[in-house]
Amino acid sequence: MSAGETARQSLWSRAVYKLRRDRVGMAALGVVLLFALIALGAAFGWWAGDWSELKGGYYDPMSRTYWFGTNVNGQDIFARTIYSTRVAFEVGLIVALMSTLLGAVLGGVAGFFPGSWIDEIVLWVKGVLDSIPFYLFVAAVAYAMQGSAWGMHVALIVTFWTTTARLVRGEVIKLRKFEFVEAARSIGVPERTILFRHVLPNTLPILLVQATIVFVSAIKSEVILSFLGLGVKDGVSWGLMISAAAQEVLAGHFNNFIWASIFMFTLVMAFNLFSDSLQDALDPRKV
Amino acid sequence: MSLREYCLRRVCFGLLLIAGVTFVSFTLMVYFGPDVAFVLAGRNSTAEELQAIRDQFHLSDPFLVRYGLFLKELVTLDFGNSFVTGVPVMRTLAKTIPISLAVVLPGFVLGNVLGLGFALIAARFRGGWVDRLIMGASVVGMSISLLIVVIVAQIVLSSEYGLNLFPSRGWRMGSLSEYLTYVTVPTIATVFVALGYNTRFYRAVLVEELSRDHVRTARAFGASPLNIMTRHVLKNALIPIITRILFTIPLIVVSGSLVIESYFGIPGVGKITFDAIRSNDQPILKAVVSLTAILFVLMLVAADILYRAVDPRLGDQ
Repeated sequence: MSAGETARQSLWSRAVYKLRRDRVGMAALGVVLLFALIALGAAFGWWAGDWSELKGGYYDPMSRTYWFGTNVNGQDIFARTIYSTRVAFEVGLIVALMSTLLGAVLGGVAGFFPGSWIDEIVLWVKGVLDSIPFYLFVAAVAYAMQGSAWGMHVALIVTFWTTTARLVRGEVIKLRKFEFVEAARSIGVPERTILFRHVLPNTLPILLVQATIVFVSAIKSEVILSFLGLGVKDGVSWGLMISAAAQEVLAGHFNNFIWASIFMFTLVMAFNLFSDSLQDALDPRKV
Repeated sequence: MSLREYCLRRVCFGLLLIAGVTFVSFTLMVYFGPDVAFVLAGRNSTAEELQAIRDQFHLSDPFLVRYGLFLKELVTLDFGNSFVTGVPVMRTLAKTIPISLAVVLPGFVLGNVLGLGFALIAARFRGGWVDRLIMGASVVGMSISLLIVVIVAQIVLSSEYGLNLFPSRGWRMGSLSEYLTYVTVPTIATVFVALGYNTRFYRAVLVEELSRDHVRTARAFGASPLNIMTRHVLKNALIPIITRILFTIPLIVVSGSLVIESYFGIPGVGKITFDAIRSNDQPILKAVVSLTAILFVLMLVAADILYRAVDPRLGDQ
């Protein structure tokens, strides 16, 4: 066996190898990266900086100046759709990062000391949060944090970390019985270091897949929450555009609805497909 | 661990969960929520009027006293009157819950039956083009937001831009035909959104059962695919399937569907919750949130005990 083949045996290199051969997964990743570029450009002000300017007429149709037409206020729907991509990535990234971090730490600690009081408390908090229906919980948080732009983010993070924590806890319970943990312990590595340096890094595949799932869920939740009046407050987002469209479509104004829907669907679909491919690549048992 | 001891433990855990759930709902909605005195008294009220309302609703009392009062409301199921309509909360719920059930149940049943059906087909032909087609369609279904589905369903089925077959919004259930005309579009939307998730979930459960040794043995003994699916796979997969269905019940009974009901203007629990969120109607909101959560915990405990009683294998864990 040559050195190259041995290297391919590591989980990560094999995952990369598998992922690169997965044509659907790579195409999906390409679409996601394209959207990320659009979002980045909007964040740095390279384009779509004029999303809030009132410059067109009342529901202008699609034209060379206004590619996607204008809305009721004469704002450029193309600029709004593009700028909303940035908002979607902002929500998705913040929620995915924070909930993954929270889930990894709490799930890891709980799983490393199963049956201890820490474990019991984490399980209890998780049980409590899982018992409150999602939209009602977000409504309650938004109600409590009224006026704050971060109410939705907080609510989403607090709801989504529990699944990550459950998966990490299960994996850590399995991992802590492995020999490398025993070996580390026998040479006097402190428990905290064992958990955070040796055990938790091994849950990275789970965390990665879970983070992509949370990202998608957060973007989808934003749309529903904005419609319910609990989501993005000032500014623009696909959710706000589609909610506005709910009042317009029966009057025959479709541009807001069509473009926000197409962009959102494409991103969510691509992310779902990529998430599936990632799962296939990282989980050797998955069929 | 005996069955009795197990039951006792689960019930204790359930009580702890209920304590947590009520504590979270109280802290979020009652303690940190917006000042209801302003909501009730209106903008141009005097300091005395505000103080009178604060005294009446115990707004200036310490945290624990108010939490105690909240628990008392829960135990006696008396949440007071809605701030907006003045009608007792429980009477409003009694009126709206049946409507929500009528709206959500057909979609819930259809979504699960169809999901299980597709999952059976996909699992039967695992890896083939039928499986890939069904799973691909599921991902597409999962990627479309409920709000988009609802709007498209409305445009296509009940507007002049589409087929214009059904009323675009509203709710009436005087007769069966009336009920059917109003429930069709919401049902189609519910089924469409749930189908992708259900199919994927059920397929995963079925595939796992299919790879068990006893299934291989049955196949080796010449059992037909249909026989294997129904007698050996479906029967063993019942536990996760029933769990999923059980845990959706509290949501259907108490919270209805926020989006569908508020979009179509159907006066169910979802609609009054939506209105309560918009108008800061605290009594309604806290009743809906805490009752749903408590019902969920009860289901959780009941399911645990039921499985333990029904399936002796779970005893050793």
